[in-house]
Amino acid sequence: MRASSADRIFDTVVYSIVILVTVVTLYPFLNVLALSLNDSTDSVRGGISIFPRQLTWQNYEIIFSYPSLLTGFKISVLRTLVGTLLGLASASMLAYTLSRPDFQGRRFVSIFLAMTMYVSGGMVPIYILIRDLGMMNSFAVYVLPGLVSAFNVFVIRSFIDGLPYALQESAKLDGANDFTIFWQVILPLSKPALATIALFLAVGQWNSWFDTYLYNGSNETLTTLQFELMKVLQSTDSGNGDYRSTNMTQVSPESVKMAITIVVTVPILVVYPFLQRYFVKGMTLGAVKT
Amino acid sequence: MPKMRKWTAIVLAATLVGALLAGCAQKEQKEQQQEKAASNAPIVMTFYSEDPSPNWAGMEDEVGRVITEKTGIKLKAEFAVGDAQQKSALIASSGTFPDLISAKGSINKMVDAGGMRDLTDLIEEHGPNIKKLFGKEMKRLRYSLDDPSIYVIPTYSAVDNVPFKAEGGFELQHRVVKELGYPTIRTVKDFENAIKAYLEKHPTDENGNPNIGLSLIADDWRMYISVTNPAFYTTGGPDDGETNIDIDTQKVTYHYRRPAEKEYFRWLNHMNAEGLLDKESFVQKSDQYKAKIASGRVLGLIDQQWGYDDGEKAIKKEGKFEHGYGHYPVTLTEETKDTSYWPTGFMAGYGVGISVDNPDPVAAIKFLDFLCSEEGQVLVNWGVEGKHYVVEDGKRIIPEDVINRKVNDAAKFQQESGIGTYINMGGRYGHGVKDSTGNYYTTEFPEQIIAEYNEVEKETLAAYGVSTWIELFPKPEEFPVRPWGAAWNIPVPSDSEVSILQEKLKNITWKRIPQIILAAPSEFDKLWDEYMAELEKAGVERMEQGFEKFVKDRVKLWND
Repeated sequence: MRASSADRIFDTVVYSIVILVTVVTLYPFLNVLALSLNDSTDSVRGGISIFPRQLTWQNYEIIFSYPSLLTGFKISVLRTLVGTLLGLASASMLAYTLSRPDFQGRRFVSIFLAMTMYVSGGMVPIYILIRDLGMMNSFAVYVLPGLVSAFNVFVIRSFIDGLPYALQESAKLDGANDFTIFWQVILPLSKPALATIALFLAVGQWNSWFDTYLYNGSNETLTTLQFELMKVLQSTDSGNGDYRSTNMTQVSPESVKMAITIVVTVPILVVYPFLQRYFVKGMTLGAVKT
Repeated sequence: MPKMRKWTAIVLAATLVGALLAGCAQKEQKEQQQEKAASNAPIVMTFYSEDPSPNWAGMEDEVGRVITEKTGIKLKAEFAVGDAQQKSALIASSGTFPDLISAKGSINKMVDAGGMRDLTDLIEEHGPNIKKLFGKEMKRLRYSLDDPSIYVIPTYSAVDNVPFKAEGGFELQHRVVKELGYPTIRTVKDFENAIKAYLEKHPTDENGNPNIGLSLIADDWRMYISVTNPAFYTTGGPDDGETNIDIDTQKVTYHYRRPAEKEYFRWLNHMNAEGLLDKESFVQKSDQYKAKIASGRVLGLIDQQWGYDDGEKAIKKEGKFEHGYGHYPVTLTEETKDTSYWPTGFMAGYGVGISVDNPDPVAAIKFLDFLCSEEGQVLVNWGVEGKHYVVEDGKRIIPEDVINRKVNDAAKFQQESGIGTYINMGGRYGHGVKDSTGNYYTTEFPEQIIAEYNEVEKETLAAYGVSTWIELFPKPEEFPVRPWGAAWNIPVPSDSEVSILQEKLKNITWKRIPQIILAAPSEFDKLWDEYMAELEKAGVERMEQGFEKFVKDRVKLWND
């Protein structure tokens, strides 16, 4: 098939737009990377684009000289793993239950869930609730309060709703019970939706520092990486003259900020390609089936 | 089916890990309780601070261990991260208070919530060193006229601090004054002439880029530092924030309304008309400003050292020390004195308090008292004798290898030694105060500052016949003490009319001042009159009268 000139113009336009968007999104990242690897005093002079002018690990050395960073990293990885898996399991189970037409309380539970999307208790009441539940200074506080998110449940439910109901009926005829249907029929088919939600959960867990700040700030064994980095950042930034932290004077806060940005982004960048194929699948799935 | 097994296995694993962690948490709590039960172990007190302390090592550092040994208290500390005021508000509204609280400006929320203990009697009974440290300043510790309790031991302001490092004034590059044979830099005219003469001789740098006469920075609040505060420093007014206060009658004036300051802004307007003022002064961002300074092209600045330090360091790193800056006490006319070092007296303010939930307030006050003692002060500033400093012929000396680690391995050194970590936890003496052995309490003193100067800087200083920049400035003793301290530190409730008016006036000023400076000189008087009229219309007089009440209350609180 020969491409017509209209097709070629179309392709050219599309490719130019794609290239433009790529440059616009990639440049800031490369700039941050270059600045994080450049000598801090030299960076002050400006003019760094995508290559460092005076290569150094100095900025990273500053960050990693804090011993609590390692604990922070462990806790962050752990909470991302546990939080994602538990969150996924509970959201998908609830979603499946809600998708079943024979479930009596379906309407009530749906409305109940939907309400949490619009109404929240506010920070202080939640703080007091968490405290009275005895979850302060515990790992559970990272996972349990956000275990079921209404949004995630609805996304998975609408995906399950889109699966032909006949599949469940035929499984039932073959003698499968509800759990078997869920494990063997629904979950494998919902993988694209689950992958999306998993990514949401994982990114959310990885990036979150506010719950550490609220509930675990005084417990050095349970702080997360983001929280620790926030501390480092703040100490380079805060204070003038008399209070400027003495050890930070050799490195400007800007450079440390850049290095921190890289440190927190890289793990997500590493995970993303593995989940990406599910997104593509999710998008093409419908097209192939019809 | 392998697929099913995989999913089940993952979910199972996750559940198990979850259960395991829950188990761990419980065990930990039990251990803690057991720890508490042991009688000879130190009392663990929780401590909350609004400021970060990244090198906090849980009091397991060398200084920390000595403090625990002497006071029997070990702190379990939390240093707020992110929006500290929010966290403080949360603590106040939750009604459960950490044992010791250093909440800076948010302390009023804790007090309102009934969380803070009045320390007056505790200090009287158990705080001899606290009383000794604050001495006659004890009155300044009181909370307010309505509630004269003492809720905090001030830890942010140092007692009897002597400034010996000049940070402000007007700055000129060393190469400028050297080229011109070190002329007297005393008035704005001298400053202007120096820049002008140098620019005429050297319009460009060695690479052909144009030199810049005077660059100002007006990026957000930097406006105060570089543009508007110098208006009172150069015209004999002390730093009282956005106001000027009559020392006898305490009549408040919005400082821009002083006639002398009009002349200062007229001079800036003139500088712009002459082409000596950087055209980008009012549009540049902080990083552009620093990059410009790092290029070495800016001859003169009006700023504080910490505002341009990064840029100056970059140019010095290239070995171009003659592009560094000296500080000069420039004023509008010969008759006025530069007021940069007009003393404020002891400023009290932010500090550490004991909460009502503290199980042992007497132990807590003894802990704070130890930090105020001579032994405690030397410990937190200098470290452990024989390890971090030695005494030779009655003089405290820091060994070479310790100095080396302080500079090159600073973070780790602080984590291990704890030097610097506890300074902000108790009342403290300022720089330049000597202890009973004749040594300085802090590790910063004039000899050390001179040692930090480079050769070019020393040459310039020698040419002006001084050894430090601060010697060029009028001494603190030359100024009368203001009974209110300094007006910028008088808290104004954010919902009061004064505070709303101040915000309104700020917006007018920040719009008008750049406009006036950049206008043609013939327009200056007309624009200035318009600016004054606009201030009056916005209610500047009501702000002045309203603020006067706050000043008078402060005078009464601190002096009666």
